[in-house]
Amino acid sequence: MSLSDEDRRKLDRLAQVMLPGSVGMSGASELQLAHAPVDRVLRIEPALAPKLAHFLTRAGFVGSLGDVEALAQEDPEEFKALEVVLANAYFMHDTVRGEIGYPGQEARDSSVGLDDRDLALLEPVRARGAIWRE
Amino acid sequence: MSDTSSDVVIVGAGPSGAVAALELARAGMAVTVLEQGGWVAADEFDGARPEWELTQLRKWHPNPNVRGRAEDYPIDAAQSDVNPLMFAGVGGAALIYGAHWVRFMPSDFRVRTLDGVADDWPFTYDDLAPFYEYVEEAMAVSGLSGNPAYPDGAPCPLPPLPMGRVGRKAAKGMNALGWHWWPGSNAIPSRAYRGLQPCVLRGTCGTGCSDGAKATPDRTHWPEALKLGVRLITGARVAEVETDAKGRACGAVWIDRHGARHRARGDVVILCANGIGTPRLLLMSDLANRTGLVGRRLMMHPYAGVMGTFDEELESWVGPAGQILVSMQFYETDTSRGFVRGAKWNCMPAGGPQSFRAGYTGGTLTEGWGAALHDGVARKFGRSFEWGIIGEDLPDPENRIVLSDSLTDGDGLPAPEIRYRMSDNTHRMLAFHTARAVEAMEAAGAISTEVTPLIRDCGWHLMGTAVMGEDPETSVTDQFGRVHDVPNLYVFDGSIFPTSSGMNPTATIMAVAARAVLNLIETRHTLAPSQ
Ligand SMILES: Cc1cc2nc3c(=O)[nH]c(=O)nc-3n(C[C@H](O)[C@H](O)[C@H](O)COP(=O)(O)OP(=O)(O)OC[C@H]3O[C@@H](n4cnc5c(N)ncnc54)[C@H](O)[C@@H]3O)c2cc1C
Ligand code: SF4
Repeated sequence: MSLSDEDRRKLDRLAQVMLPGSVGMSGASELQLAHAPVDRVLRIEPALAPKLAHFLTRAGFVGSLGDVEALAQEDPEEFKALEVVLANAYFMHDTVRGEIGYPGQEARDSSVGLDDRDLALLEPVRARGAIWRE
Repeated sequence: MSDTSSDVVIVGAGPSGAVAALELARAGMAVTVLEQGGWVAADEFDGARPEWELTQLRKWHPNPNVRGRAEDYPIDAAQSDVNPLMFAGVGGAALIYGAHWVRFMPSDFRVRTLDGVADDWPFTYDDLAPFYEYVEEAMAVSGLSGNPAYPDGAPCPLPPLPMGRVGRKAAKGMNALGWHWWPGSNAIPSRAYRGLQPCVLRGTCGTGCSDGAKATPDRTHWPEALKLGVRLITGARVAEVETDAKGRACGAVWIDRHGARHRARGDVVILCANGIGTPRLLLMSDLANRTGLVGRRLMMHPYAGVMGTFDEELESWVGPAGQILVSMQFYETDTSRGFVRGAKWNCMPAGGPQSFRAGYTGGTLTEGWGAALHDGVARKFGRSFEWGIIGEDLPDPENRIVLSDSLTDGDGLPAPEIRYRMSDNTHRMLAFHTARAVEAMEAAGAISTEVTPLIRDCGWHLMGTAVMGEDPETSVTDQFGRVHDVPNLYVFDGSIFPTSSGMNPTATIMAVAARAVLNLIETRHTLAPSQ
């Protein structure tokens, strides 16, 4: 299911209001979030598309978070679809991940285990002794 | 209708079914296993993909009602404070478990004697200890031996996983208060081990391990069981356990994915379908319920959490998840606190920017949108972790599963309906524990804390619904899971637990299953149909 141009414009506006950006974090408009990033989410989770489309059909053009709030109150379930789409489009974006220092769920070496500092932290626990009840 | 025959028919290919099938096959018995789910390959899990936070909202969600796969059965939980969670597949719910591996403590087996509540188990910690050790070898448990919360220090076959920055931070808080903690033990290998890859700390254990590391029965048990000739039929939903004219179990009727019915005959039937699936099947089969206890005493471990945020980078998306630390400081009863029994704590990383339990709360940040969202991410992401609290749930006959008269699964079989309320004891327990966990966070230097008094999607641990005991008037099975009313029908999963403890139960489920199946093998000569 693809979004109409009109839907896309409304989504773009919603995204700008909901994800305006801040120091060190891009906003939706710089990322063109309502385009390829949103399409990527809908490709992975197509079940979100009809709910999102319904929401957008209903929605007018929003000016502020207050307007978004009012739309959310009208149909919380469809609004949830919008939230999931925008949040995931945003946090799956490489630029955002770079900005917030999130490499994704990365692979590391687990064999390093505990080091001497960790074992030293355990000393008081060992010193207090058994805590189980017979 | 196809008709097959073997010595033993097992329902369910999760941890308990895996232990049973492997031991029976090693003893030379012919085994058929019926599992409604299928195989899940490691690369199907999304842990290593950018959409990991997205797909846990539905595809890998722990609640079958949300997941809605064909192999799942729906659950009516409208009358329950907690949603039961599970997964249907070869490996069972372990495919998406956190792999927190903890033994029950000695007092857990004697709560009636010690605290005057519920029931003692028909055996003790010491009786079960060799079986714990046995299943821990199979499940690649990594951890540090010598935990003073256990008489034998709860030895672990593999060295512990790293604590990371999160673990050190949490440990310092606990030390400042003089409270017990210990590096977490997990069914996750810190080294390559018997066909399992070493853990890479990806921290996605609760949505499946894409690295082939986490110990799950599809890797630890089923390959050998299949080699030994076990017949594992997937996509096989059991509709009924059948009995013969003498009232003995003689097999199971199962439905394939195309709706066709089949019969699997066996001299022995073992139910390993978990604390919801097993009583559902017993109720559907109208078996083992002379006492009316089947489905009652459901325990699901209400779970609370305290999230702490710190003013420093903790890399709190790094795994395992998995438990980084545990604490049993407030595990044992102290009646001055206003409740009996206690809870285990587990220190967990906070996951990605939408929080590691995004799927559980519906998927998006609770901080709101606009500037608040950016501010929340800047303050919390990578800088938060959780002390999770597993409260001991005491058995109550009114907490139960019944068969729904309106909801059915994809095969038209009645769905389970859950009637479950959290007790006053549990409410008081979780209030006490969350208050202490806030103190632990503050002692560690948290700049803010958030308490979740109860997570509704927390029914990970399903126990008690076909209770074991010595007296056939007050229990469903004997101490080896043998149903009092039907001598060749067994239950090996958490349904038979008399009490729940405050621990994650899989170590005990597998140890109890191992103890029970060895007894079955030793006594098999008494099970021949002529007996
Ligand atoms: C998200 C999550 C996290 C968890 N984390 C932990 C943890 O960290 N530590 C811990 O100790 N435990 C944890 N658990 C619990 C743990 O997964 C269970 O204790 C364990 O899997 C129980 O094993 P089992 O074999 O008894 O049942 P299950 O694993 O539930 O397996 C039962 C099997 O039976 C099958 N089945 C049911 N009914 C039928 C039927 N009618 N016909 C055919 N097949 C049927 C099911 O499909 C399933 O595969 C977690 C559970 C979940 C859901
Ligand atoms: S932390 Fe280890 S076991 Fe868990 S998902 Fe990652 S690699 Fe697998």
